[in-house]
Amino acid sequence: MQRGEEMKLLTGSSKANIIYIAAAVFLLCYPFINDTRSILILFTQIFIFAVFAMSYDILLGFTGIVSFGHAMFFGIGAYSTGILLDRFEPTVPIFLLSIIVGMILAAILSYVVGLLSLRLKSHFYAMLTLAFSGLFLVAAEKWRSLTRGNDGFTFRIPDVFKDRMTLYFITLFLMIVVFLVLKRFTESPLGRVLQAIRENEPRTESLGYNVIHYKIIASIVAGVIASVSGSMYVLTLRFVNTSVFALDVTLDALLMTIIGGVGTLVGAIIGAGLIEFAHHWLTGLAKVHWIFERWMIFFGILYILAVMFFPMGIVGTVKSWFYKRKGTNKTKDVDKEKIAG
Amino acid sequence: MEAIINLTINGLATGMLVFLLAAGLTLIFGLMDVLNFAHGGLFAWGAYAGVWSYGQTGSFVAGIITALITGLILGLLMEKFIVTPVYGNHVQQILITLGVMIVLSEMLKVVWGPNQLSAKTPEYLSGSWEFGGVILIKYRLFIIFIGFLVFFLIYYILKNTKIGLIVRAGVINKEMVQSLGINIKRIFMLVFMVGAAMAALGGVLLGPYSGQIYAEMGMEFAILAFIVVVIGGMGSITGSLFAAILVGLSGSFMAYYVPELSLAVNMLLMAVVLIFRPQGLFGAKG
Repeated sequence: MQRGEEMKLLTGSSKANIIYIAAAVFLLCYPFINDTRSILILFTQIFIFAVFAMSYDILLGFTGIVSFGHAMFFGIGAYSTGILLDRFEPTVPIFLLSIIVGMILAAILSYVVGLLSLRLKSHFYAMLTLAFSGLFLVAAEKWRSLTRGNDGFTFRIPDVFKDRMTLYFITLFLMIVVFLVLKRFTESPLGRVLQAIRENEPRTESLGYNVIHYKIIASIVAGVIASVSGSMYVLTLRFVNTSVFALDVTLDALLMTIIGGVGTLVGAIIGAGLIEFAHHWLTGLAKVHWIFERWMIFFGILYILAVMFFPMGIVGTVKSWFYKRKGTNKTKDVDKEKIAG
Repeated sequence: MEAIINLTINGLATGMLVFLLAAGLTLIFGLMDVLNFAHGGLFAWGAYAGVWSYGQTGSFVAGIITALITGLILGLLMEKFIVTPVYGNHVQQILITLGVMIVLSEMLKVVWGPNQLSAKTPEYLSGSWEFGGVILIKYRLFIIFIGFLVFFLIYYILKNTKIGLIVRAGVINKEMVQSLGINIKRIFMLVFMVGAAMAALGGVLLGPYSGQIYAEMGMEFAILAFIVVVIGGMGSITGSLFAAILVGLSGSFMAYYVPELSLAVNMLLMAVVLIFRPQGLFGAKG
C-alpha cells in the first residue's frame, strides 16, 4: 500500500520525470562524447539487460511472483533469432520475424507454465520454473541438429546492425520504449490489480478478481519482453550457445532487480547498469588477485544482505527517504496525495 | 534381462541419492514451511568435503563422517543466520536461500578450485558380484543399502520416539506444539541440521559413484529433488522415497532406451501429478 503511494508521489511528480528525461538525453548524447568501442558495447549490454530485468520486475516487483526460470524466455528469444538468421538470409525482415517468433513462443510457454503452476503456492512456482528452465538447458544441449549444442554457432546479421553506434541507439530506444510501455502497463487498472495481488492475494481474490487469470497475464507480459531482450542480446554477440538458458541469466535478473529496487522499473535499469559495470570492472581485476575471478561471491553476499536488510533496493530506499523527508516538511501535500491515490 | 537388472540397480542407486536430498527438503518444508533452495549447495559441499577428506586420510568412512559434520555445521549456520531472520516471509525466504546457493557454490570453487575432483571407490566396495551372468556392482548396492537404512532410521525416529512425535505434531500444527511448552525453534534447528547432513551424505556417496564431482552437480541434483518432492508430496518421507525411486528408475531406463527424453519424462511425470493431484501422491495438504 505504502509503496504504491510513494510511487505515485514520485513517478507522477514532475521532478522524477525531469530526472528521467535528463538521463535519456545524456545517454543519447553520450556516444558523441565518448565512442570507445568497449564502452559502447558495455552500454548496449546494459540496455539489453535493463529490458530483461524490467520484465522480471513485472513478476517479482509488481505481482510478487518469484520465478527462477526467467532465462528460458531469454533463451527462446535468443535461439529464435539465432536460428532464423542462420537458416535464412540475414535481412532486417527476417530479424523482425525472428523477434515475433520468439515472442509468440514465449507467450505460449509462459501461458502453459503459468497454467500448470501459478495456482499453487509461491514455492511451487519458483521450483517449477527452475526445473523447466533446467529442462530447456538440457534440451538445447541435446538437440544438436537445431542448436549445435554447447558449442553454439555464429551467424551473420543484417548489415544495418553491424555498426556499434546503431546498435547502441537501437537498444537504448528499445529500453526507453519498454520502460514507457511497462510503466503505462503497471499504472493501468490491470497493473493495479497485479499490485493488489502482491500486497494481499486472499483479499484481492475475495474482492472478486480471478487472481490466477491476472497472474498468468503478468507472466505472459514478462515472458514476451524477456524474449525480445534475448533476441537483441544474440544480435549484438552474433553468436548463440546454451549459456542463454543457464541459471546465471536468471540470477542476473534477480540481482539487478533486487539491488536496484523491486517494483520500480527504474530500479531494474539502475541495477542492470551497476551489475554490468561491476562485472566488467571485477573481471578486469582478476589479473590483480584471483579472488576477483569469483566475483559472483561478492554479488551473492551483497544479494543476501540486500534481501535481509535492504529489501527495497537502491531506488526503493531513496524513495522512502525522500518520502519521509517530504512527509515531515509538507505533511499536507502528502495527505492530499493520499486522498488522490 | 541383464540389462534390465542393471538398469534397475542403477536407477535405484540414483533414486537413493536423490532421496537423501529430497528427504531433507521435504521434512524442512513440512515442519518449517521453508523451501530450501540452497539444499543442492549443501549436497555439493558434502561431496567436496567428504571426497577431500577421503583423499587425505585414505579412509572412506572418515570421508562420510567429514561430510556429515560439514552438513551439520552448514545447516546450523544457515538456520541461525539466514533462515530464522526471514522466517514467515515466503518471498524473502525463497530469494535468500537461492542467494545462499550462489555463495555456497562459489565458495566451493574458492576452497577447492574450479576444476572437478575425482573420487575412487574404496577397495572393499569396488568390484562386483556375479550371479548366473548378472553382474551386480557392489558400490551401487551399497548406496541402495544406505538409502534404505536412512529411510528406515528416519521412519523409526518419526514413529517411535518422543522427538519424532514432536516433529510430526509440528508438521500438523506448530503453534499448538509451542503452546504445549515445547521449544519448537530448537526442533526446527535440529531438523534443518539433520536435513543438511542427509544432503551432504548424498553428496559424498555420489563421489565414487560417478567418479568425479563438480560444483554444478549441486543444482542438477537439487532440480531432481524438487521434482521428487512435488511428485511425492511436500512433507511426506514415504512419498519422497517412492517418488525418488520412480524418478531414478525412469531416468535410468529412459537414458538407456530413449536418451533424449530422460529429463523430459520426469518433467512430464511432474506435470501430470500437478494437474491431477497438486498436493503430490502422498501429500496430505495442498
